[in-house]
Amino acid sequence: MASVTVPLPGAIAAEGRKFKVSELLRWSVDHKIIGIQYMVTAFFFFIVGGALAMMIRWELLTPALDVMADGTAYNQLFSIHGTVMIFLWIIPMLAGFGNYLIPLMLGAKDMAFPWLNAFAFWLIPPAGVLLMLGFFVGQAEAGWTSYPPLSTLFSGDGQTLWAMSLHLLGLSSILGAINFIVTIKNMRPEGMGWFQMPLFCWAVLATSIIVVLATPFLAGALTLLLLDRVAGTAFFNPAQGGDVLLWQNVFWFYSHPAVYIMILPAFGVLSEVISIHSRKPIFGYRAIALSSLAIALVGFTVWAHHMFTSLTPELRIPFMITSMIIAVPTGIKVFSWLGTLFGGKIHFTSAMIFALGFLSMFVIGGISGVMLGSVPFDIHVHDTYFVVSHLHFVLYGGSVFGIFAGIYHWFPKITGRMLNERLGKWHFALTYVGFFFTFFPQHIVGILGMPRRVGEYAPEFQSLNVIISIASFLMGISTFILIYNVIVSLRAGKQAGANPWRALTLEWQTSSPPPAHNFTGDPVPFKNPYGYGTRAAWDYLHAQENRFGPSVDALGVEKPAPAPTPAGD
Amino acid sequence: MNLSQNVPSTGRSSNAIIWIVAAGIAIVVGGIVIASLQPLFFPTVGSAEAEQVDALFRFMLAIGGMIFLLVEGVLVYSILRFRAKPGDMSDGPPIQGNTTLEFVWTIIPAVIVLVLTVYSWSVWTNTHSIKPNEQTVGAVGARFAWTFNYVVDTASLPDGVTLDQLEPAIQDDVRDDGIQLSHPQLHTWVNQPVAVSMTTQDVNHAFWIPGMRVKQDLLAGRTTEVRFTPIEAGTYRIVCAELCGAGHGAMAGQIVNTRDEAGNPVQELQGAWLIVHPDEDTYMREFFEPEARAVLFPPEDPALLGRQILASGRYPCATCHVLEDLGWAGNLGPSLNGIGDRAETRVPGQSAEEYLYESIRLPYDYLVPGYGPLMPQFNDEPTEPNYMPEEDLNAIIAYLLTQRAG
Repeated sequence: MASVTVPLPGAIAAEGRKFKVSELLRWSVDHKIIGIQYMVTAFFFFIVGGALAMMIRWELLTPALDVMADGTAYNQLFSIHGTVMIFLWIIPMLAGFGNYLIPLMLGAKDMAFPWLNAFAFWLIPPAGVLLMLGFFVGQAEAGWTSYPPLSTLFSGDGQTLWAMSLHLLGLSSILGAINFIVTIKNMRPEGMGWFQMPLFCWAVLATSIIVVLATPFLAGALTLLLLDRVAGTAFFNPAQGGDVLLWQNVFWFYSHPAVYIMILPAFGVLSEVISIHSRKPIFGYRAIALSSLAIALVGFTVWAHHMFTSLTPELRIPFMITSMIIAVPTGIKVFSWLGTLFGGKIHFTSAMIFALGFLSMFVIGGISGVMLGSVPFDIHVHDTYFVVSHLHFVLYGGSVFGIFAGIYHWFPKITGRMLNERLGKWHFALTYVGFFFTFFPQHIVGILGMPRRVGEYAPEFQSLNVIISIASFLMGISTFILIYNVIVSLRAGKQAGANPWRALTLEWQTSSPPPAHNFTGDPVPFKNPYGYGTRAAWDYLHAQENRFGPSVDALGVEKPAPAPTPAGD
Repeated sequence: MNLSQNVPSTGRSSNAIIWIVAAGIAIVVGGIVIASLQPLFFPTVGSAEAEQVDALFRFMLAIGGMIFLLVEGVLVYSILRFRAKPGDMSDGPPIQGNTTLEFVWTIIPAVIVLVLTVYSWSVWTNTHSIKPNEQTVGAVGARFAWTFNYVVDTASLPDGVTLDQLEPAIQDDVRDDGIQLSHPQLHTWVNQPVAVSMTTQDVNHAFWIPGMRVKQDLLAGRTTEVRFTPIEAGTYRIVCAELCGAGHGAMAGQIVNTRDEAGNPVQELQGAWLIVHPDEDTYMREFFEPEARAVLFPPEDPALLGRQILASGRYPCATCHVLEDLGWAGNLGPSLNGIGDRAETRVPGQSAEEYLYESIRLPYDYLVPGYGPLMPQFNDEPTEPNYMPEEDLNAIIAYLLTQRAG
């Protein structure tokens, strides 16, 4: 039931007014504004992290260290690249999607705790500033994983700011996740049981459970690190009785589940986009929904596979077993999406081609993930470019492609205008080619013997590295097509209308962009969020069109005259 | 909008089975073909472990290749076959799922990962187990170099050497602790199982020999071990695989272009390499005996002794400093060429000896402009990390003072 009926204080003022960019700079408790604030902030940091990546690839054009001043400066680049991309781009970007979409998908007027929601967002900008200030005091140089004793005895004062910044971001995540759990549990409308929720809600629910359970461990690890650095404690200093493996265990107890924090919402985006743009019900709804929970659960038992070369040898096999098991629920999802596509009516929209790009690349990341789960092979490629390749296949080929698919899919809802499809296809083509040739050769260079996190490397790896760098520059350039597309489309994009994709989920059952309280009256959800191909769905969409007026015909077809009668079930 | 009129046709089912079987065969063959490419992108197979790991990888690549072809095949087929025609406003058939199919694609991957787990487990058991007659070598990681320590008992004295020939002090050392050598390279021979026992002076490092497919982290405050059995003579690069700071990338075997005594350009191995000799005799003749003699009969001249200590790699200087006399080509720290001339000009009122002494004991107080605080502090207490006894330091200073420009 959409139980919030009293207008929210921050939202009243916005009622009936045109959205202004300046609102993004103000405190707002409207989940839609907050969602946009998350996304714009995260995208800014995507550019920052991308610029750092370009500098890394520029340095690696030659085997010698010649672009950066010294090894420390190079180490700072990839340390901050990793931290920014994980904590300031993917996680907040997906939190932005969640914030914008969850109340809309549930037919609610806002999140359960609007004020908390705004607070969670406003922790992010100061955290980003803290992290960047590190460049002025000796930036962190211990990698995003910041293993002691390098991070406690050697890295610059930026490492202290790094830990404080991550503390703030972790707190932001926890507060946001509590909000998502309460919202999804309590604010579903009449007629929407757990198994009538859009799969994106299931994904955000599973993610939020992970965040609430895992992030406190990050906070614990960071607190110990801070105390070691500034208060003279010795949690990680073996000379005084500490233990360096303590950090690795506690850090990965958070950071492995964090991998699922970064991928599960992107899985959710994919379930929406694939079903809607192939006009076919999602294949095996329950399996996809429950596999998210299975991943969330098993994800807590696999952390030490990040430590196969440091963990006590006797403990390696148990963690190999759990790591292998987690491939099964992930496989279920991939096969279910294929089952959805098979026999559908696939529309080649920009959102859809990014989703298909996701599927085609994520499967490579999944296969290399299983290989890495095998202890004897992992021993060889641990901490090499093979791992760099694997993690980018799942986080770029997976999460980021999912984010791009989501941007093309929901931009019309958020702004009321369509993104340009031609530019979207250029964006996809360049990103896809650039991505593949950046990350696929990294498997090989890693197997051949190039460790990760090196600014200088053996000369025999240069030719592969040149290919990788050139492809990465192409990928870097391709992002600006998206930025240009967003700017142009905000001013001159086609008016979208309420439901340009003819989707059945509730966020499309209102105008684009939605009014301050999201819906006029209580929206009635369709009984199956993916019930395409049925008479009932046709009737539902028809009634919707009568109410909100026609939408742009976004699935790339000429709109025919209304069909006289549907052909029947 | 129209609703779908797609009804799954049953009349063509026999045709469909043929196609499915053909696709299945293509996928299996394709996976095997992909796996057969494995040697093209793998380093030399240098150890018994490498053979097993590579076979495991080939198996995983074949399975992975089949899954890849299956998924991409269905994907591409769907895109080609089920792409909506322009103007097609209809929906696909309202199929919600298929329990049998979902069961199948849960069970098959589960069986696959089970098989991979059992196979990996057996390879792991074989490769990391303790072998008889292991050659034990100590490895010490420090920012940013490796030192390998060989300890052998008095039974392995070089041919023609007896204990009484040695100086009394050395005689006592050898009798108590055996012959102790340090070397920047790890030497062994074909079919000799090696066990490396590793400690670090500072941060975590990781000992990796790509050609042997073995890797193990060095953890501050712990001793860790790694084992392998080389099967192919040759030189193999040793690499640091765990981020350890500014010189992490340089903490690996390097090939340096230099000139031999006759002035001909040659390539010399610098830094950490695994040298696998063809047999034990060659190992003894080319590595152990000359090195052992150098330790058992140290030069009288302190400068020559200092040179010998630095060349042994006992202290991690070579990765960071340039010193032509020893073939060092590091770029992280200041050059040591001609240091004998410059040392006394550095700090007014300090002699060359004092300057060198202090800048090795307290490097952070003697940073050369343009270089960061990267050099370890070499302590005179055996309980501290980076222990450098006074005798070693004095010999090193005596040697460095002989390094004059021109």
